[in-house]
Amino acid sequence: MGKYLLEVQDLKTYFKVKQGYVRAVDGVSFAIAPGERVAIVGESGCGKSVTALSIMRLVAQPPGEYKGGSILFEDMDLLDQPESVICKIRGAKIGMIFQDPMTCLNPTMTVGKQIAEGLRLHLKIRPDEARKRAITLLEQVGIPAAAERYHSYPHQFSGGMRQRVMIAIALACNPKLLIADEPTTALDVTVQAQILELMNGICREFGTALMLITHDLGVVAGMTDRVVVMYAGKVVEEAPTEELFANPRHPYTLGLLESVPRLDQVRDEELRTIEGAPPDLLAPPPGCPFMPRCAFARKQCLTMPPLDPLPKNEQHRKACWFDITDPKVQEYAERRRAAMEALKAKALETTGNKTVTS
Amino acid sequence: MMDTPIEKEREDELEALLEVTPALAQKRRSQARIILDRFLRNRTATIGASFLILLFLFCFIGPFLTGHTNPNQPNLLAPDAAPSLAYPFGADDVGRDLLARAAVGGQVSLLVGLASMLVAILLGTAIGAIAGYYGKLLDNILMRITDVFLAVPTYLLLFVLSASFTNGSVYSIIVLISIFGWTTAARLVRGEFLALKEREYVMAARTVGAKDFRLMFRHILPNAIGPIIVNATLLVGQNIILESVLSYFGFGVQAPFPSWGSLISDGQGQINTDPKLVFIPGILIFLTVLSCNLVGDGLRDAFDPHMTER
Amino acid sequence: MGRYIIRRLLQAIPLLLLLSIFMFALIHLLPGGPEAILVNPNMDAEGRKALRASLGLDDPLPIQYLKWLANAVRGDFGFSFFTNQPVSTVIAERFPPTIELFLLALLLSLILAIVLGTISAYRQGRFIDYAITTVAYFGISMPIFLLGLLMQEIFSRRLQWLPPSGITTAGMSYDAFNGFLDHMLHVAMPMLVLAITFTARWSRYMRSSMLDVTKQDYMRTARAKGLATTPLLVRHALRNAVIPLITVVAIDFGSVAGGATITEGVFAWPGMGQLFLRSLDQRDFPVLLAILMLSAFFVILSNLLADILYAIMDPRIRYS
Repeated sequence: MGKYLLEVQDLKTYFKVKQGYVRAVDGVSFAIAPGERVAIVGESGCGKSVTALSIMRLVAQPPGEYKGGSILFEDMDLLDQPESVICKIRGAKIGMIFQDPMTCLNPTMTVGKQIAEGLRLHLKIRPDEARKRAITLLEQVGIPAAAERYHSYPHQFSGGMRQRVMIAIALACNPKLLIADEPTTALDVTVQAQILELMNGICREFGTALMLITHDLGVVAGMTDRVVVMYAGKVVEEAPTEELFANPRHPYTLGLLESVPRLDQVRDEELRTIEGAPPDLLAPPPGCPFMPRCAFARKQCLTMPPLDPLPKNEQHRKACWFDITDPKVQEYAERRRAAMEALKAKALETTGNKTVTS
Repeated sequence: MMDTPIEKEREDELEALLEVTPALAQKRRSQARIILDRFLRNRTATIGASFLILLFLFCFIGPFLTGHTNPNQPNLLAPDAAPSLAYPFGADDVGRDLLARAAVGGQVSLLVGLASMLVAILLGTAIGAIAGYYGKLLDNILMRITDVFLAVPTYLLLFVLSASFTNGSVYSIIVLISIFGWTTAARLVRGEFLALKEREYVMAARTVGAKDFRLMFRHILPNAIGPIIVNATLLVGQNIILESVLSYFGFGVQAPFPSWGSLISDGQGQINTDPKLVFIPGILIFLTVLSCNLVGDGLRDAFDPHMTER
Repeated sequence: MGRYIIRRLLQAIPLLLLLSIFMFALIHLLPGGPEAILVNPNMDAEGRKALRASLGLDDPLPIQYLKWLANAVRGDFGFSFFTNQPVSTVIAERFPPTIELFLLALLLSLILAIVLGTISAYRQGRFIDYAITTVAYFGISMPIFLLGLLMQEIFSRRLQWLPPSGITTAGMSYDAFNGFLDHMLHVAMPMLVLAITFTARWSRYMRSSMLDVTKQDYMRTARAKGLATTPLLVRHALRNAVIPLITVVAIDFGSVAGGATITEGVFAWPGMGQLFLRSLDQRDFPVLLAILMLSAFFVILSNLLADILYAIMDPRIRYS
């Protein structure tokens, strides 16, 4: 096997609608090494969930289509394999947990059976053996009285407990990679911490690689080795976690980091936001997708910049023509910001329509 | 990749870049227009609606236009006539004009179907609204009554009732069919009212002093109207079937008013020799009810398109 | 659970009582009376009065009702005005053909509806879905009697495959096996007519239920576990999708009285429905009342059954 456990190369996943194709994932590339913990961050609709679903080939075939690229898992291109092979990989080599634990479990099947199902399917063990292992798993994810709870139904559990069950299901067959799609977004803050710790602990213990999808930068900071930032179906920046937080090099990442409210902020200072809205993925404008909202944008942004490493740092890649730490670049950005404000004010006063955005 | 060195920018190039940022202006269509558009995009529903309109024209205006107004005039000179210019649908065994009988029969069936639907919907909505809005004891009583009506075997009781009460007139049949048709609407409306009356906008209206009646009809009902309309449309189809069954067994509208059901029972004796006597009213019933169902389902999808495909 | 059932049964009793009063009153409001039908038209007024008195029709209505009720709770529904047989016997005779019709239609429809509904949902938007939906619309939009007439015309007269009516071929006597075959040929059409109307409705419910279920998140979880399509559909989707269907089926049981009556009328099938129509004609009050009460009881029972089934099949209800 090559250096990486998972290598996504130029993945394109589109959705066919009446008016054409929605380009949910439009040329995404990244890699995950064995045991590595990687976060995929971005706002809603940037394509991170679709990327994860594509890896598992869970995207509904109409209207979804895998338009290009490859997904190499243990050197095998998952996009090329027949469904029967993929079924053997799902659950056994790659496990996945989803966002909303309240709806992710079959309400008419006991929790234990749902765990045991995966075990029996992939490990071909006898029912009583599967039951024993399922109970062990329940204990490992922190469900008290596991032996009785084996026979409970999902609606008898709280959200946090259900997510623990989901983790048990996903990790039952000891997969090499765990994909977690916003696992804590639907949970209370206190429970969030517990679940994250649980995931972290188990992954470390079994050497499972983790692909954590989230829009919460706070979660990223504590849990991951590397971060991939996505916007409008494309990767815009990628770096080791600490490096990304200390030294963001893409305007979008900068905007994300700046928008997180800080405890040491001056009280009356306005919260910073990124003006505007993500582009229409049906007909994305040419070039860099962030351009309409970018303070640093210039004419050459009409061509999409490649995702290239920084001159001094191989690990850190960005998809931007400019060095945003350069003072001259920053000065230009200030002038552009001022001009955009003026434009917005003018539009507000002529149409009075507050839905005009820039 | 080398970072691009920055140059002095001219103001108009800045301006040009700003143009790339699109200004979003939203045009809002009215609620009703949105629903209508969705309905029209549904081909089968539109076909159904068109058929119903044509049917109405055929039954109510057709006879006058074509001069075939008399469904009961026997013409023993032309028994079992085949379709011809004088008798576009042919004639039955005593020479009655089948076109006139089909059209006038249609008038009766459609009238009964629609009118009984209106009565049932009005009754059902009123009962459901009161039950859902006031809740507690009133709701309990009304729902028990609804249960009684629902527990009754509909057709059996309709047969008994029509033998007892009706004089075969159209109005009595309308009343009869409405008696059993209101229950679904009542349950539906009650459900909607129970849910909607807890919404904030209702409480807001109440704090401004709106009285019960006004709350019910100006605020809650308009939001419940979608399912009611769907139910009403489907009810028309159901009632037409009910009426045809009654007429077929001789319990419905009596002579001299023909109805599609009675046309079939009249004609079934000759099904061997002259199948069109059964076939024509039969097809008419079927197509009418089918259209009602298609339109009803189309309306349901137009009001609540929770399916992304189809 | 047991308490729930008992409570519902107890609730059903006042309902039945109310219904009995309601229907008793209704029947006795029928114009004319049995004496108009039963008798020799030459019988004089004296004779008619005597007949009415002997049938107990002279007592005030409430008394008649109470008398009837007292007997009914003991299972004695009186005597048929027409044949003087005990009503229970008359009905018991007619019961099996109707039940046979109903059960056969039910079984066939349930299987067909689940299969067709699942296929339709799984292949949503494709040709097979349109085809099945079209046939379903056909079944819903056709009045039962018309369907019956059409089938008689096609299968009996044109194709000569099946006998047009009745339960046996008149004038023939068969041995056991051929008799069975003959019986099957006779039951085929009326059973199919009922089955078509049921299947049309239920398959659409099943389709819509399956569509809802397959969009649920837990289906995605199951797929992510590595389940292939067939076990996925059967073990996860079906289990959840049939729950609302079963309740609709149980509720539809209640309306079978009407459908069966019409079908029996068209096919001259000697069941309770045909008995009802005849008794209505003859103003045979005791029989009418008994049939109505039985049907109402059946409706209430099936509603109760629907609730119980729902509670059994959905653990969220069972354990809450």
